[in-house]
Amino acid sequence: MNRRGFDISVATAGRSIVRVSGYPVFDNCITFLFGESGIGKSVLSKALYGFMNNTDLQIEINNNSYGSHLNDPWTQAIKRNSFFVFQEPSSHLNPLMTISDQLNEGSLAGIHEEDILSWLWQTSSDAAIRKLLDVFPKPYRPSGGEKQRILLAMAFKRIDAWIASPPSGEPTYFVFDEPTGSLDNTFRNLFLELLFNKYAVKPFTIVIITHDYSIISEIYNRHRQLIERVHFKELSRLDEDEVTVNDFSPGEYLDWLAAPRPHPSKHLVVEPVLEVQPRFSIFGRRLAIYADSQRTRLQPLLINKGDMVYLKAPSGIGKTTLAKIIMGIYRAERFSMALDGISITDRSPMSLWSSSIWGKRAGMVFQHADESLNLASTVRETFKGLPLKKHPSESDLVNHLTELFDGPIVDSFLRKKVAYLSGGQKQRLNLLRTLILGTDLIILDEPLNGLDFTSVKKVLDLLDEKRAQGGSLLMISHNEEIFEHFIDEENIYYLGVIE
Amino acid sequence: MKTARPPLVKFVSGKDGRWLCIWIGALFGLGIWDYLFLNRPAFERIINGFINTLFIALLSVGFTLAMAWIMTLAFHRLGSVKKRSGFYVLSFLLNLIRSIPQIVGILFGYIGIAALVTAGLLPGKAITFILMSICMSGFIMPEVIDLLRERIDHYTKLDFFNALRVCGVSQWRIINFDIFWKNSRIHILNKLISVFGSAMFLQCSVDFIISVGLSSDVNAVTLPTTLGSLLAKMDSKQDILAIGNTLTNPAYMPQLFFQHLQGLTVAFLIVITLLAVYQISCGYAERHRL
Repeated sequence: MNRRGFDISVATAGRSIVRVSGYPVFDNCITFLFGESGIGKSVLSKALYGFMNNTDLQIEINNNSYGSHLNDPWTQAIKRNSFFVFQEPSSHLNPLMTISDQLNEGSLAGIHEEDILSWLWQTSSDAAIRKLLDVFPKPYRPSGGEKQRILLAMAFKRIDAWIASPPSGEPTYFVFDEPTGSLDNTFRNLFLELLFNKYAVKPFTIVIITHDYSIISEIYNRHRQLIERVHFKELSRLDEDEVTVNDFSPGEYLDWLAAPRPHPSKHLVVEPVLEVQPRFSIFGRRLAIYADSQRTRLQPLLINKGDMVYLKAPSGIGKTTLAKIIMGIYRAERFSMALDGISITDRSPMSLWSSSIWGKRAGMVFQHADESLNLASTVRETFKGLPLKKHPSESDLVNHLTELFDGPIVDSFLRKKVAYLSGGQKQRLNLLRTLILGTDLIILDEPLNGLDFTSVKKVLDLLDEKRAQGGSLLMISHNEEIFEHFIDEENIYYLGVIE
Repeated sequence: MKTARPPLVKFVSGKDGRWLCIWIGALFGLGIWDYLFLNRPAFERIINGFINTLFIALLSVGFTLAMAWIMTLAFHRLGSVKKRSGFYVLSFLLNLIRSIPQIVGILFGYIGIAALVTAGLLPGKAITFILMSICMSGFIMPEVIDLLRERIDHYTKLDFFNALRVCGVSQWRIINFDIFWKNSRIHILNKLISVFGSAMFLQCSVDFIISVGLSSDVNAVTLPTTLGSLLAKMDSKQDILAIGNTLTNPAYMPQLFFQHLQGLTVAFLIVITLLAVYQISCGYAERHRL
């Protein structure tokens, strides 16, 4: 096994963006790269692959100019032999070309794709796939999950080309940046299975950048034979711009998951905070809440004081939509709920939420911190304007931030623009802004988005603490493994569509 | 690695900063030249006219912003209630203003102001300035309202607006602080630079039209002197004709800068100001990647 190390620095207009020493590439091995969002995983991978624009950025690799890196035989070879799957599938696809044309563009031409598509879509129907291939991509069509699978299909075509090529000893570097972000666990596992099957035929270098720690369980449960060839790495911050690559211990995650959770103490008096009737309609679809995963037993969504409830459904069914209905952002038809003693139906006036619910009885953490926070504000300003009984003093604010942020919270951090925080820091700030409200009900939509493992544990501990103090939490997350482990079965609800 | 430049050097090296310096430099240069070679009464008239034009344009910027802000908030409020009749009435009024060519609307507005001046109903010059600015702002305002409403629409489509609302932040704070102040002030300032340019242009155009006699109700006596009215004066017109004379008689050109200074100065002030404002606006947009 050959390990290469790269010293990489990326800067713009005199400001360093990210620096790392010994960024590893394990030839013909599989590397999982974890780390909080925005720490520089994608930037470093793109810089190494040769994708960065060196007119706007100053990039040095192994103390050489970016130009010499681009002309290096290693870089030339990986560009010839490999593929880079971008994190955001929408921006990767050309809206002016059909999916079919894009799947056969340039070096992808002449490589068969039928088997790959059949596997990724789990269908043998040519017609179903053909319908998708004739589409010009738009923001809403195909769906996020389908776009992601199209990109994966492109990568698999390049892999097939590599497997079919005669042995040359040339390096490869297949990068998958958040390849499963829009896939549910079934399709994620299908992707991994296909990838590892092809790897078994002829090994190549794979880097998978991800926040999905449950992928570790999948590897250990179903692909144990590959463990020898798998590296788990984590990018962590040394200072403002310098990061380091450490070994990530999969055992630590698996042990944490296997550790018995203390049974949450029940409040002596059962006090309902939220009760949503199981049937409702929105956007012409009829949805229902069930008590079982087979979706046979309708049940009102009931959250008592001190409960942590998990709402489960495949991607795109309407978990976030239900959260937004509860919070009065969307208006459903035939909807009825009781929130903290207030009876609400689809005919309730919208002013009810602004006068009695928002920030007073309920708060919600939205899933994309980048969109939810005011990036032009400072950390301190993020907490201004909230309907708090007493405006938090500087020390209150510092104490509150310390719940999720390491190290001493200094004035320069409070004055820092939110835009300059990493993705993980933004997500923690997003959580803290809602938690400071102390509302009876808190809805959390993908609260673990973009967090590293240390932060995941911290966030879950903090949420458990809020629950123990009498808070009621409704969790929405695709991270089933973690939440199924964390929340009692009786508090898991399932959302489904009524056909 | 590049080293950070001092802020002043950074500002001047941008197109907007460079053109601001060019404009100020041109004004000073012209001022010194005119002080040396232009007769005193004409020099004073030009200074008076330039300051009046500048003052009315700046007042117009202020009024435009204030009126557009109030109207935008009214649109937002009326658009979010169940009964939207108020929203439709306001939309109709705004579209009515939009349908009138700016120059025509302002011309009629000035006729009204002149009538008030003639009737002795406007006690001082300041009130006249304010009324002229309000009149101009009324017709420029729709552009700024469009910008402000676009900014609100952009952010309400994102989770940004709802994420703040469900935290209990009042929508007035979200609009005024989070959207306008924190995320749109660069866009607004850029728009105000162009509003200033529009106000200068419209002011000069309307005053010119009035002063050459298209309106028998308004004349240069009833309204304050501006660059537009100065340009329309008989001696300025002769100065401008002299420029044409140099096309057939190039040897006459040096005399333009000594004997025809009033008309030349007024024309130059209008052209350099409009050009500089245009370049500053473009440079500012480039600097902030708008």
